[in-house]
Amino acid sequence: MVESLYRANILVCTGSECVAAGALDVVQALRQEVARRGLEKEIRVGESGCRGLCSMGPIVTIYPKGILYCNVRPADAAEIIEKTVLRDEIIERLTYKEPESHQSIPYYEDIPFYRKQLRITLRNCGIIDPENIREYIARGGYEGLAKVLTTMTPDDVIEEIKRSGLRGRGGAGFLTGLKWEFTRRAPGDVKYVVCNADEGDPGAFMDRSVLEGDPHSLLEGMAIAAYAIGAREGYIYCRAEYPLAIKRLKIAIQQAEEYGLLGENILGTDFSFRIKIKEGAGAFVCGEETALIASIEGKRGEPRPRPPFPAVAGLWGKPTNNNNVKSYATVPQIIVNGADWFNSIGPQRSPGTAIFALTGKVKNTGLVEIPMGTPLGEIIFDIGGGIARGKRFKAVQTGGPLGGCLPASGLNLNVDFDSLRQAGAVMGSGGMIVVDEDTCMVEFSKFFLTFATAESCGKCVPCRVGGKRLLEILTRITEGKGTMEDLDRIEEISKQMSSTALCALGQLTPGPVMSALRYFREEFEAHILEKRCPAGTCKELVRSPCVNACPAGVDVPSYVSLVAQGKYAEALEIHRQRNPFALVCGRVCPAFCEQHCRRGELDQPVAIRQIKRFMADHELSKPWTPPLLEPKKDKKVAVIGSGPAGLTAALRLAQWGYDVVVHEALPVAGGMMATVIPEYRLPRDILQAEIANIERAGVEIKLNSKLGRDFTLDDLLEKEGYDAVILAVGAHASRKLRIPGEELPGVLAGVDFLKGVALGNAPDVKGKRVVVIGGGNTAIDASRVALRLGAAEVHIVYRRTEQDMPAMKSEIREAKEEGVQFHFLVNPTRIEGNGRVTGIELVKQRLGEFDSSARRRPYPIEGTEFVMPADVVIRAIGQNPETDWASDEELERNRNATLRVSRELATTREGVFAAGDVVLGASTVVEAVAQGNRVAMTVDAYLQGGKPLPKDEWLAYTDVPVTWEMEDYAEAPRAEMPVQAPEVRRNNWREVELGFSEEACREECRRCLRCDLE
Amino acid sequence: MVGEAQTAVEETLDLAPLDQILEEYKGTPGAVIPVLQRAQEIYGYLPREVLTHIAEKLGVSLSQVYGVATFYAQFYLTRRGRHTVRVCDGTACHVRGAPKIISALEEELGIKAGETTPDYRVTLEVVYCLGSCGLSPVAVIDGHVVGRLIPEKAVRLIRDLK
Amino acid sequence: MPKFKSVEELRQFRSQVQAELEAQKRTGTTIIIGMGTCGIAAGARDTLHAILEELRKRGIEAQVSTVGCIGMCAYEPLVDIQQAGGPRITYARITSEKVPQLIEEHLVKGRVIKEWVIGRLKV
Repeated sequence: MVESLYRANILVCTGSECVAAGALDVVQALRQEVARRGLEKEIRVGESGCRGLCSMGPIVTIYPKGILYCNVRPADAAEIIEKTVLRDEIIERLTYKEPESHQSIPYYEDIPFYRKQLRITLRNCGIIDPENIREYIARGGYEGLAKVLTTMTPDDVIEEIKRSGLRGRGGAGFLTGLKWEFTRRAPGDVKYVVCNADEGDPGAFMDRSVLEGDPHSLLEGMAIAAYAIGAREGYIYCRAEYPLAIKRLKIAIQQAEEYGLLGENILGTDFSFRIKIKEGAGAFVCGEETALIASIEGKRGEPRPRPPFPAVAGLWGKPTNNNNVKSYATVPQIIVNGADWFNSIGPQRSPGTAIFALTGKVKNTGLVEIPMGTPLGEIIFDIGGGIARGKRFKAVQTGGPLGGCLPASGLNLNVDFDSLRQAGAVMGSGGMIVVDEDTCMVEFSKFFLTFATAESCGKCVPCRVGGKRLLEILTRITEGKGTMEDLDRIEEISKQMSSTALCALGQLTPGPVMSALRYFREEFEAHILEKRCPAGTCKELVRSPCVNACPAGVDVPSYVSLVAQGKYAEALEIHRQRNPFALVCGRVCPAFCEQHCRRGELDQPVAIRQIKRFMADHELSKPWTPPLLEPKKDKKVAVIGSGPAGLTAALRLAQWGYDVVVHEALPVAGGMMATVIPEYRLPRDILQAEIANIERAGVEIKLNSKLGRDFTLDDLLEKEGYDAVILAVGAHASRKLRIPGEELPGVLAGVDFLKGVALGNAPDVKGKRVVVIGGGNTAIDASRVALRLGAAEVHIVYRRTEQDMPAMKSEIREAKEEGVQFHFLVNPTRIEGNGRVTGIELVKQRLGEFDSSARRRPYPIEGTEFVMPADVVIRAIGQNPETDWASDEELERNRNATLRVSRELATTREGVFAAGDVVLGASTVVEAVAQGNRVAMTVDAYLQGGKPLPKDEWLAYTDVPVTWEMEDYAEAPRAEMPVQAPEVRRNNWREVELGFSEEACREECRRCLRCDLE
Repeated sequence: MVGEAQTAVEETLDLAPLDQILEEYKGTPGAVIPVLQRAQEIYGYLPREVLTHIAEKLGVSLSQVYGVATFYAQFYLTRRGRHTVRVCDGTACHVRGAPKIISALEEELGIKAGETTPDYRVTLEVVYCLGSCGLSPVAVIDGHVVGRLIPEKAVRLIRDLK
Repeated sequence: MPKFKSVEELRQFRSQVQAELEAQKRTGTTIIIGMGTCGIAAGARDTLHAILEELRKRGIEAQVSTVGCIGMCAYEPLVDIQQAGGPRITYARITSEKVPQLIEEHLVKGRVIKEWVIGRLKV
């Protein structure tokens, strides 16, 4: 394009858009101007093709300076010739201006993924064309090599690298400079430089990224190392699974040789160095340096004991320096910018940056380079964007299959070589795999062991046999056949392996299972003791993800499939096997099943709760009399509390032939279902219909009968002849704020407020300003009820962020729609008022370190207090069980006042059992139902002297055939639930959700993927 | 059937291209692995005859060549399918559903991972980490990496292989 | 092509290349496609072909170059557009079917497609 014959070349774009904007006139004007000045021989005016800047045409470019002008008019011609061509002046008015729409795009350094990153080793990756050495040179490439060859002795180089504190980026973290020094000092004329590019750790791909994106930085680093230790030959051992990396390395080596940057007499000095590529052949153990060297020599890649270290006797017996790709690729930067610069980044003992391959269940998977010492939680949540699909963080595995995992408590760890090792994980290759609640830690450990045992070279016994034994034990546990002794055995074998195996592979193989056992022991125990896989991964223990997620184990795919066929009664019967509250749960259940529905991974989960509601509503007119399943037992059981836990337990025991009396303190049965869940979510007649079913089973419910007031445990067991008592009294005591002013009239407890409304003595909030404190479902219920009672305005204040709220997402959305105002990151410090509440003082919160729930802990920001006017304050920051009904001597309690119970729900008093919120703390209806079922089993076993009649047949799951063509529903979207409009519903107590039509419901059922049949 | 096909291949084995490679690596230290890699590129796998020939020409024992060939996952001693499907079950892919993809493909092809369909259409392999974890789960179908797989998509891709 | 005989030659070459690359960027449009393995796995090769085809069809002379992985695997294939020496504007998940719209909007109409953009990079 640049023709040097002319003093200047002016090119006018004559693409169609520029022509439309008048480019041809510009050409003419410029030619005329050139002619007028008689400069045709010196200045050429030509046409160019479209530059892709069509909206700014006509575009004019002026060479040799390479100046670009936009929106040029013919009238600009004279000025362009005069100023720019003849006087080298830029006409500011015509230069390219970044359009405003571009300026609103955030810079990389402002987007969360990059904000906390510091790219040193990866500085060129994704920036330059890796197949073009010119771009590398333009970005300062080979300046490090130039510097050492002309101004530094080999000892200077080693000293500089030592002073920089660079530690081996392959994972072991040995000081690179020291390693170089050993090799330099080792006697011998022939020495080698080897690069370990056999990135075999699953989940790590940063070496590949460097090889593919910036191969010259590796070549330059190796050349510097070769100069320092006195080598003339180098090898890159690259895994064959990286064909693109190998291709780009070959191109890079060839180009470097052509430019005299590799080969003989580099840059005219007497230093000569060549690099060869060796393709690995697929053996994980070759990442170990002695095995890698054996492999380059063409042998089986088996490790050998050290010493002698490769620095003394390595490749073909000669002194050999072996480093990882990243270590070499970092070296040129250290040489150019100096050891002090590098040393100043990150903590003193682990300076520089760390590269992690962030993968698994995070939103922003990718490669991340951060200063050493960055907290783990920042990497996962700020850079990685947190967990995808709104799931909960569970653990992060670092260091690959020989590393370890860390739970939420590890999120505050400042990441470096040493801190990770202390916590039971390792830096390793830099893989960082994030897992959420759907990953089973037992299966995860088994996965790593499967890998490690397959890759064991078999040379030493601890690794070969120990690994196999561990794998057998873990396999047993995932199948539900493990024993508690197995856990001890895991620890024993692990200890042996790590102390006696020959190489790192064998020593580190137990790492993942050891750390999983250390942090997630209860998950192992659930597999062993309850034959349950909480994450829903272990095939042998899991019918389908939804069934597994349901605390009560309701057979979701079966009833959904029956509803699809219109067999509502059959469907409901299946539901009632495990949960008698289909009408209730069809309305209020948080639907754990939907959260784990596999359809949700494709598009949206099946609307299971709404299907359930339709099914139950459809059968509402047919009263259910639960069948008696076993002969009458002539034994009496008292149940205290008529919430879902108590009623479920009562129903089961009645069905098994026991006489059951339920004592309810309030004048209405149903517990929280009747008194706390508002009517617009659960109409009272619906609830009473379901309670009536249970009464038809023969359960007697005594209202206004309160433990501790009307009778005692002793009365029941000793005077009234009950054989067992089940405590299902719930958790009705709202937690206190513990701030001044809490005792003022107008400050209400959330549960008491809702209860008052339900029992017909609603507090007067009409026309008042109501402030609700808390982020759970009770807070949302209270706020929406206050709206319906005519409050002038309703505010919710919560100390964390919206996404940290424990309330159901749909509830939060609906409350917002109805006009509830949310205030996040504020916490009350004082309630103001004189005889009555007038306001609430709040302080703004900042987020600090991560807590055990993987949420950031809020801290007050001093001096940011402000007062929010309020007439009524409702505290809804959680509930504990009340304690007034039994003394601590009678029953042992935990610190939050829940009862201390065995795994089978027996309390510390003989014959007394417990279930529901009094055990769990505030939870959900379905969790209470599950506890009710469980405690009933325990009581039955207790009363039958440990030999209850078997329930297996009654509880057996049976497969329902698929009756529709699944492929027809591959693209079907989730059915939408019709609801009352927000402005209407906030003024009435009718149900918000209106229910599916029969057709919509049955179609929705067919979106089910029937995971139970796999 | 399988046995017959295999003998048929061995009978018609042409060792000339192998000799050319062996010539190239004559006297190069550490030649066993690259020679095996190149040989496999030609024959698709490493028949016994090839191994014997390599051992002879490189002047090493057959047991040494065999030892190397069996040590590395890259080398195959049995005949392969026309298409190779390698599903990654590295950690990142594993937690993002690789096992479901593997079982879907096993069911589709009627073979287990590590096997070849009787008509030599497809060889199905499970490998640990292809280094594309950011797009997990991934598979490599005849050298082409495909990412963000779901079982349905994987099965569709396999059906397209002739 | 130079075979550097001294450090000075390398440095001289560097300044020259820098000037050339700079001029190239300043005077036109550069489209950059992430072609690491993950980009390719996400379909970058098809994207590249679609871009070349679209430019040919429209007669636009833009510089098309490929780079390695910039690390945002979740957003591959990544396509950057840099014009007249301004910042590189990064578009996420540009599969081949999105290419015609991208060229039409960004190059021809000079409008950014906000929903696809993830950031600007000063180079």
